[in-house]
Amino acid sequence: MADDKDVLRDVWFGRIPTCFTLNPDEVTEREAEAYYLLLPRVSYLPVVTDKVKKHFLKVMRAEDVEEMWFEYEGTPLKWHYPIGVLFDLHASNTVLPWNITVHFKNFPDQDLLHCLSNSIVEAHFMSSIKEADALKHKSQVVNDMQKKDHKQLWMGLQNDKFDQFWAMNRKLMEYPTEDGGFRYIPFRIYQTLSDRPFIQKLFRPVSPDCNVHTLGDLLKEMYPDALTNDGEQKRYQVLIHGIEPLLETPLQWLSEHLSHPDNFLHICVVPVPTD
Amino acid sequence: MSCSVLDEEQFRLSCQLLLQRSDQLGDGWSWEAVQGSEEGYLRKTALRSVPSDWGPLHDQKGFSSHPQPQTLCDSTGHEKEEQDPAASTGSDFLRAEEEDAGSYTVTNSSSLVLQYEYHILFSCSYGAPVLYFRAFTLEGRSLALEEMWSTIHPNYRLCLQNCPLNAISQQEHPLLGQPFFFFHPCRTEEFMGPVLQAAPDQGRPVNYVLSWLSVVGPVVGLDVPLQYCTALHSTKPD
Repeated sequence: MADDKDVLRDVWFGRIPTCFTLNPDEVTEREAEAYYLLLPRVSYLPVVTDKVKKHFLKVMRAEDVEEMWFEYEGTPLKWHYPIGVLFDLHASNTVLPWNITVHFKNFPDQDLLHCLSNSIVEAHFMSSIKEADALKHKSQVVNDMQKKDHKQLWMGLQNDKFDQFWAMNRKLMEYPTEDGGFRYIPFRIYQTLSDRPFIQKLFRPVSPDCNVHTLGDLLKEMYPDALTNDGEQKRYQVLIHGIEPLLETPLQWLSEHLSHPDNFLHICVVPVPTD
Repeated sequence: MSCSVLDEEQFRLSCQLLLQRSDQLGDGWSWEAVQGSEEGYLRKTALRSVPSDWGPLHDQKGFSSHPQPQTLCDSTGHEKEEQDPAASTGSDFLRAEEEDAGSYTVTNSSSLVLQYEYHILFSCSYGAPVLYFRAFTLEGRSLALEEMWSTIHPNYRLCLQNCPLNAISQQEHPLLGQPFFFFHPCRTEEFMGPVLQAAPDQGRPVNYVLSWLSVVGPVVGLDVPLQYCTALHSTKPD
């Protein structure tokens, strides 16, 4: 369907206007100006922030510079989560631009993974793709791909090339017609109310008696608190790529069209703003 | 149906059996439950002594080393440049005498003491247990990935480096949200398959988690005493 392909493009090209400010405690030779950037929702911080690093390094001495890391309102930002997920989880419903603080010292190694090169990001990305395919196709599709095909997925993401990426990714979105969908849906539900970083379990897109599972069915099973009962006031928003899809949306459709490039459906449950 | 894939219920049962044996043997495993659910993981901490000539553990303050160290870092404690451990095979990583490509001789007895923490979780995506671990110096500094490679016996290191997927990497602990190291579970089926296939012929019960642990554990200093298996037999119900 032509409409569905538009969704793929809209997801890929989603952007978040961001303002990067240097942590005031960093030692600088002169004052650092803020740096503005449109961040791709579907990418990862280390991949798209080379310019940010260069900008701030201009006012710092080499000996004052260690591994760069980012923080929003005191929370270290996990670079291995897609940028859009970080925004939806921590800063949705706030006034744009998204204000991120840049650090070059005191890396919080109890909170953040290290990321000393883009090959680490690539390894994480490919690891997610492989895990997603283990769930969808018992790894058959990803294992049938050649190394250059895997590389194409990563390069497509890194270089923001939608067509290059989807030429390969479409294979990961196929399934035998008679099955009605993937074996299991790769998803993660994030919330900030408890220590557990995310919920990820096995869930089929279609029930044994051929009922199509919806987003609402998934939440009912995995995170019932996110749902509003009749007569109650709405307490939570369920966000995917910054929007609230209807709970009646079939999960299989969401998985095919609203997954991130890592092939996971990343779902953020955030409290409704009280303003 | 050949099934070298585990489900969560089987995982929990295997863990409980392992836990019983561990209690009998005083091996130190505990079950950490996720609040309000049956989900959880096995946990164990242990002190481990690592020969300091297995690789360049950073000689910064915070490492306990015994007298006459023959450490590999330069004596100013200057950090070695970042290397990709998977690509490095050469002499700057292994210092002691090598008799041939597959073996390794330890030439001195100085060692470093580290505190290890091991977690065994279940991966529903791969239907397999996964080993998460982290290590600290006795002063509380956590080990970086490069240093972690240095704590792995060079023979194992050679095997792991040939694995196309980064066999050991840093990962977010799925229940605690903190950085740990972990063994990628995607190859588990490869070595557990033959074990499970052979088991019925030998008339022995297989504890999936125990057998799996006896393969991956030793690589990161976690030994699984043979008594685990003898205990299994002696208390087997009629």
